[in-house]
Amino acid sequence: MEFGTIEREIYIEASPEVVFEVVSSPDHLKQWWPDDARYEPTPGSPGEIVFGDRDAGGTVVAFTVVDARPPRTFSFRWTHPADEAATEDNSLLVTFDLTPSGAGTLLRMTETGFRELGWEIAVLEQQYQEHVTGWDFYLPRLAPYVATLQVRP
Amino acid sequence: MNTAVTGKVDDDLWSAIGDPTRRRMLDLLLIEGDGTATTLSQQLPVTRQAVAKHLGVLDRAGLVRATPTGREKRYRVDNAQLARAVTQLSSVGAAWDARLQRIRRIAEAIQRTQQN
Repeated sequence: MEFGTIEREIYIEASPEVVFEVVSSPDHLKQWWPDDARYEPTPGSPGEIVFGDRDAGGTVVAFTVVDARPPRTFSFRWTHPADEAATEDNSLLVTFDLTPSGAGTLLRMTETGFRELGWEIAVLEQQYQEHVTGWDFYLPRLAPYVATLQVRP
Repeated sequence: MNTAVTGKVDDDLWSAIGDPTRRRMLDLLLIEGDGTATTLSQQLPVTRQAVAKHLGVLDRAGLVRATPTGREKRYRVDNAQLARAVTQLSSVGAAWDARLQRIRRIAEAIQRTQQN
């Protein structure tokens, strides 16, 4: 088992408040990652994310919020067994750090854990994505979704 | 596709290439074209017996191919299998790249909606 870290940084032309919502709320998470997400975005809250159809061979993956400090940090652990508390040994830790930058936000993502855990899930996701190739799937979902969003002050 | 079988192959590949000594051995074999347990152990801080064990793991994962020459087997890297392993190793990062692009598009679409 090898411990590893993935780090990524991306600039987003949106305020940290908006980006925080997108990376942390289960309703938004479903738009950029799994098909379903059930958790409270508060520290310690256990939940789950689902790839595919929950009742038709889909895969349910445990998901536990570690830290939520809007609009700066959101972190969670995932891939731990559903009946175990998330720890360093049984899960991957994903941390989003948000920094205001110009008119937008610099979003930094790190994922740390035993790489084998990430590998299994990457294979799962890859196999799933092959059926719904990327944006062919997400774009038609996104437009009606954005249209329903409340405009905030 | 039989996912049970491919899953096993993938696990073997991952653990084979996940070990620093074995990655160093692959480096040496790539640089030198081929090698034996003896020639590799002369360049590594491990015994010939340990190198032979590591070669066995790499062989089972299909990352090296052995040909018997004299008293010792001579090993070469299987380039196709190595390329496949590298693709798999990078797929976790690639998955995050795709997710982050989606995060960006969603957040920017929301921001535009709020400004209009």
